[in-house]
Amino acid sequence: MAAARRREAEWGGRPQPRWRPQEVGAGDRRRRRQLESSGLAWPSGGGVLGAPLRLPLPRPRLQPALQARAMAGDNSKQFWKRSAKLPGSIQPVYGAQHPPLDPRLTKNFIKERSKVNAVSLKNKKASSFHEFARNTSDAWDIGDDEDEDFSTSSFQTLNSKVALATAAQVLENHSKLRMKPERSQSTAADITANFKVIKSSSDAQLSRNSGDTCLRNPLHKQQSLPLRPIIPLVARISDQNASGAPPMTVREKTRLEKFRQLLSSHNTDLDELRKCSWPGVPREVRPVTWRLLSGYLPANTERRKMTLQRKREEYFGFIEQYYDSRNEEHHQDTYRQIHIDIPRTNPLIPLFQQPLVQEIFERILFIWAIRHPASGYVQGINDLVTPFFVVFLSEYVEEDVENFDVTNLSQDMLRSIEADSFWCMSKLLDGIQDNYTFAQPGIQKKVQALEELVSRIDEQVHNHFRRYEVEYLQFAFRWMNNLLMRELPLRCTIRLWDTYQSEPEGFSHFHLYVCAAFLIKWRKEILDEEDFQGLLMLLQNLPTIHWGNEEIGLLLAEAYRLKYMFADAPNHYRR
Amino acid sequence: MEAIWLYQFRLIVIGDSTVGKSCLIRRFTEGRFPQVSDPTVGVDFFSRLVEIEPGKRIKLQIWDTAGQERFRSITRAYYRNSVGGLLLFDITNRRSFQNVHEWLEETKVHVQPYQIVFVLVGHKCDLDTQRQVTRHEAEKVAAGYGMKYIETSARDAINVEKAFTDLTREIYELVKRGEITIQEGWEGVKSGFVPNVVHSSEEVVKSDRRCLC
Repeated sequence: MAAARRREAEWGGRPQPRWRPQEVGAGDRRRRRQLESSGLAWPSGGGVLGAPLRLPLPRPRLQPALQARAMAGDNSKQFWKRSAKLPGSIQPVYGAQHPPLDPRLTKNFIKERSKVNAVSLKNKKASSFHEFARNTSDAWDIGDDEDEDFSTSSFQTLNSKVALATAAQVLENHSKLRMKPERSQSTAADITANFKVIKSSSDAQLSRNSGDTCLRNPLHKQQSLPLRPIIPLVARISDQNASGAPPMTVREKTRLEKFRQLLSSHNTDLDELRKCSWPGVPREVRPVTWRLLSGYLPANTERRKMTLQRKREEYFGFIEQYYDSRNEEHHQDTYRQIHIDIPRTNPLIPLFQQPLVQEIFERILFIWAIRHPASGYVQGINDLVTPFFVVFLSEYVEEDVENFDVTNLSQDMLRSIEADSFWCMSKLLDGIQDNYTFAQPGIQKKVQALEELVSRIDEQVHNHFRRYEVEYLQFAFRWMNNLLMRELPLRCTIRLWDTYQSEPEGFSHFHLYVCAAFLIKWRKEILDEEDFQGLLMLLQNLPTIHWGNEEIGLLLAEAYRLKYMFADAPNHYRR
Repeated sequence: MEAIWLYQFRLIVIGDSTVGKSCLIRRFTEGRFPQVSDPTVGVDFFSRLVEIEPGKRIKLQIWDTAGQERFRSITRAYYRNSVGGLLLFDITNRRSFQNVHEWLEETKVHVQPYQIVFVLVGHKCDLDTQRQVTRHEAEKVAAGYGMKYIETSARDAINVEKAFTDLTREIYELVKRGEITIQEGWEGVKSGFVPNVVHSSEEVVKSDRRCLC
């Protein structure tokens, strides 16, 4: 708690960057402060668990075929061979904005840029990576601004370019070091920024832990970190370009224009749309882009209106036909579980506490569940509706979505949002249904693959886990079951899904690399922990509350690099 | 020096969805009642030290499990390495009480060849007016399985400490009497620092390092 407050103080009142994508909305901050100052004393009497609910457990439904599949041995070797291409073959890189393949390159660019910022910061030392990051552009900007030709074919030349730039910078730094010690100090702070983030957040973690526990009882010392489910929820929603964002830059305008062109052409070029969407979709065009990327909306503009109308009618046909069966014997377990989970979905965001919204979620989930009996409803799926709902709602809402009162919308609008959310979520789940079938084989397989991948890319972290007997399943199960949604603010999930929907097998396959990159991102904190308990506490409560587009951009760049390195060469890096 | 512990026990908390497992554990480990709590997915880990006698501390590693059936294949992997368990039902939810038997059967199958010392917990006892399970019948069921029964409320902090420490004491007595022994390859009970025992001096160093108070 103290750490959260400290972090807030840290982010507030700093020099404003060009734009502040990762800023938590003012509403968030206010609510968070309220929560904190009240010691999380939410009005009593209405506690979620206090409600007298009668919940039966669904009866076990054994599905021998699925079980057999789950037991059918280790496919992990196959896992890396998704692409039919030969090992080492060059794959197309999506557009000029694609992340540089080597993080060291990124770092050098950042160095270069941060130098400029360091000067503008004058005497102020950058106290954290995030401040530093906010004072620079994000990973995509770097490639763009630096060089128009920064594309697949030219990344080879990048090395020498970077080397030159860095050399020049080192020389410059040296000369500055002699002349103005003060300024060079701040440059140094920026350069080590990558380590700074790690340090500061692990400090926060420790002090949060100790601060909380010492107050009460020294015996409570080694307790859990309490904040995982609470803080991220508060700041989950505000989308990056929501209200309060500064006016668009020229580049953003051009990008938006490009999207508009693509979307309005007679037959939208989906490959091109994917390329453009990989580095993030502008808020204004996100709803229609997502509908297209998920395969829900046809590329042909003439067919779109009709398709939408037909699909929406079809969905409400399901409702008419099946929704009444929710109280029948064979469906009531499913419905009850959904019914008790909905109020617990994003519990701190007012939008999701509105009865109308909760009813929409219940219908979507119930219909999906009974149409997919092999998996049925599994906790975690409820989270997956949220990004779609928020994005489709944003089509009608100018202001802050998270506080929006949906009764202001017409019946038609609400029906469209509901049906579109249902279909897009269905498309997503089609790709990862084995995550939720009996014994959850998809998750087991992916956690295993994650372990294998990490053992190859970061042996030190892997051995550290083994030494302290941490199993990947203990922390990564949730990463897979909820697609990292419990680990990231909602705004980050939305940005992440821009890319997942642009990647082939984004949710099922690319997600694995994102998880690996996400894990390695915390390597220093991980290696700093020297017991089982400390490690699990850290991994269950990774401090991502302040994350925004930039962090996700870097994460995706790293994930792409990993995919690129390993997908086609399963044995190449084997130890 | 605070954190020196005699033993480490692994506990598991099980029971139907929404009986209040996570809230009970968080009341115990964090000292407060979380007003919002999203459904547990898979298994969450918590930890706390308890003092069972002056100067004698036990480190508890607590596994909080998801109640939903589908996660059973994940959660049951944790039974085997647990020495103790809290089996929760919600006193305002008769069905969660009726499922107690199933939960016990479920664990029995997967804990072999070890055993779990269970305590039956009737949770949400602050909601007495909505009670659907009497104390008497719960006690009878518990006795039938050789378990203790206790009623708790995470919201009003009733018996939360007691539920965990009583169970810890019970296990401790069994360990002391040699009925539960530390075994290679089993995480249920681990030995911590005992003065004059050389092999565990490493633990002291560790514990000291983590003492931030």
